[in-house]
Amino acid sequence: MTADESDTRTFEGTGATPLAGVGTARWYDPTAETSLEEPPPADTVDADDERDRFESARDRAREELTTERDRTAEHVGEEEAAVFDAHRQFLDDPQITDAVEDGIDDGLPAEHAVDRAFADPIDQFAEMEGRMAERADDLRDVRNRLLRLLTDGERVDLASLPTGTVVLAERLTPSETAQLDPDRVAGFATVLGGRTSHAAIFARSLAIPAVVGVGGDLHEIDADTDVVVDGEAGTVIVEPTTEERKRAQCDRRVDVRDDPVATADGRPIEVAANVGTIAELEGAVAQGADGIGLFRTEFLFLDRAEPPTEDEQVDVYREALAAFPDGRVVVRTLDVGGDKPIPYLDQPESENPFLGQRGIRRSLGPDADLFETQLRALLRAGADQAGILSVMFPMVATVPELEAALETVDSITADLEADGVPVERPELGLMIETPSAALLAGELAERVDFLSIGTNDLTQYVMAAARENDRVAALHDPREPAVLRAIEMTVAGAAEGDAWVGMCGEMAGDPDLTRLLVGLGLDEVSMSAVTIPEVKAAVTEVETGEAEAIADRATAAPTRAAVEDALRDS
Amino acid sequence: MERTVTVVPEAGLHARPAAKFVETANEFDADIEVATTDGKPVDAASMLAVTGLTAKQGEDVRIIAEGTDAEAALDALEELLSTPESET
Repeated sequence: MTADESDTRTFEGTGATPLAGVGTARWYDPTAETSLEEPPPADTVDADDERDRFESARDRAREELTTERDRTAEHVGEEEAAVFDAHRQFLDDPQITDAVEDGIDDGLPAEHAVDRAFADPIDQFAEMEGRMAERADDLRDVRNRLLRLLTDGERVDLASLPTGTVVLAERLTPSETAQLDPDRVAGFATVLGGRTSHAAIFARSLAIPAVVGVGGDLHEIDADTDVVVDGEAGTVIVEPTTEERKRAQCDRRVDVRDDPVATADGRPIEVAANVGTIAELEGAVAQGADGIGLFRTEFLFLDRAEPPTEDEQVDVYREALAAFPDGRVVVRTLDVGGDKPIPYLDQPESENPFLGQRGIRRSLGPDADLFETQLRALLRAGADQAGILSVMFPMVATVPELEAALETVDSITADLEADGVPVERPELGLMIETPSAALLAGELAERVDFLSIGTNDLTQYVMAAARENDRVAALHDPREPAVLRAIEMTVAGAAEGDAWVGMCGEMAGDPDLTRLLVGLGLDEVSMSAVTIPEVKAAVTEVETGEAEAIADRATAAPTRAAVEDALRDS
Repeated sequence: MERTVTVVPEAGLHARPAAKFVETANEFDADIEVATTDGKPVDAASMLAVTGLTAKQGEDVRIIAEGTDAEAALDALEELLSTPESET
């Protein structure tokens, strides 16, 4: 054993990206409260100087916010960028600026005046419920930014980290993750968070090695030590050995396969990509996707004052179809109401948006106009195109909801045909996300061409455990036997109703679960593009009979631990 | 001058409607205050203050404006509060 090896320590968490990286640790702590010293005697403070200091800190804060806003909009999306607009509004709030002025008039230095001005509003909002309480976090962010600027506090700028940095943090918000530059950052590891947290999902879309949910032990890692972040194994290795280092550097990337794959015994499995913007189509093609298994259309509707026109949508859908002339593009109709605000929609604040009016519930209700325009665009887009267009409805819970959506498709088809517009009826299907839809899978499948299981939401609803709530993260695992049985039930329902069945949740992108999913009887799996090569490789190694035996054992297991045993023993 | 307006947006005077309200109030030179029917008027140019009113859909609010463009400001703010969010 060399001296080098004796210092090696391994921390375990949840791998978020099947990639490994090695680099130098650096702690990122945006909420560190700047501890202020006792203010100097009032008569030694020059109020005019302090006012100038406050104004210049505010100017710089405004500049920072503009930069961060633009960067987030570019790398992630307008939706996440909007948080910086709210911060700007608080920065210029007269109630706050007046309180700062008062503090300075009382003889306080600018930083103490800022600290005092924010204290009451933060307390007030923190006492409120739900979304109002989140405003308290926004106010803390703005206050901390000003305090840092006023006290020359050091700050880790996530977008310009030295090449080879491994970022360690308590948690990373979506906008923080979005600022990470995949060319510079070797990886990140967080104390909190699960595989389906936004940070993990963003890490996958940016192809950054990441391990989340390591727990408080992560704090034992000092800055400037060398670490390996292995998103494949879900480990963070401190002071890695030469061999561990080498393994992380060459990574376990597998070759891209452009052709469709089949199991070792010849059962074809479609491996497709989940995309949420036009820009991601290229990455999906490059990673060898057979098609798009989940085309989220929310991006079309966000960040604008008016909804997109029918023609504009036709162009976007055609572009997606053109990217996969031999494949299938499954478009999900607008799914808002959960947590995605859209300016021109009337979206009431809801304490529990995920159990509220979202997905098809809005499309058949307040958003009926948007839904009809989107369907018209989809019906037109499919005409004269090489690939297969499929359309699915989100959040269906009942047969009448599905029938109402299908009737809308019928009446729009009739309208377009009457007007002599070329139309091609797409394949029609629905997402299986609610326990209700899983239980009614047979009845639903009879009415459509396909079912697609959204495991993130299905797990959340079956387990009654919110995705972003760390305190119940342990329950949010698709390997829970109840979730596996809901999937089994869905596959059986699809067979009864003569529909094909796919999966487009994060579970589908875990190569360790590919065999189980094939054994459960899925025809298609769709995932973040980055994991496609590994899942395709995993598919080719599956023996269907063996996989079915594993699936039987897993669905019969009483506990997640027993499910894991069934997966391991095989 | 003063006007009483019923809050139409479903979210009430919170989130986006509140942000739009504050933005609009800031566009005018007039000093503008807003209050719930029995409450103390607060600065309409402050996001914190306006959000803090927690005025809900269907509730009446009083808008008070003083200054050269007070009339225009009241017109703009009334229209904003009388429009469902989906149409703005």
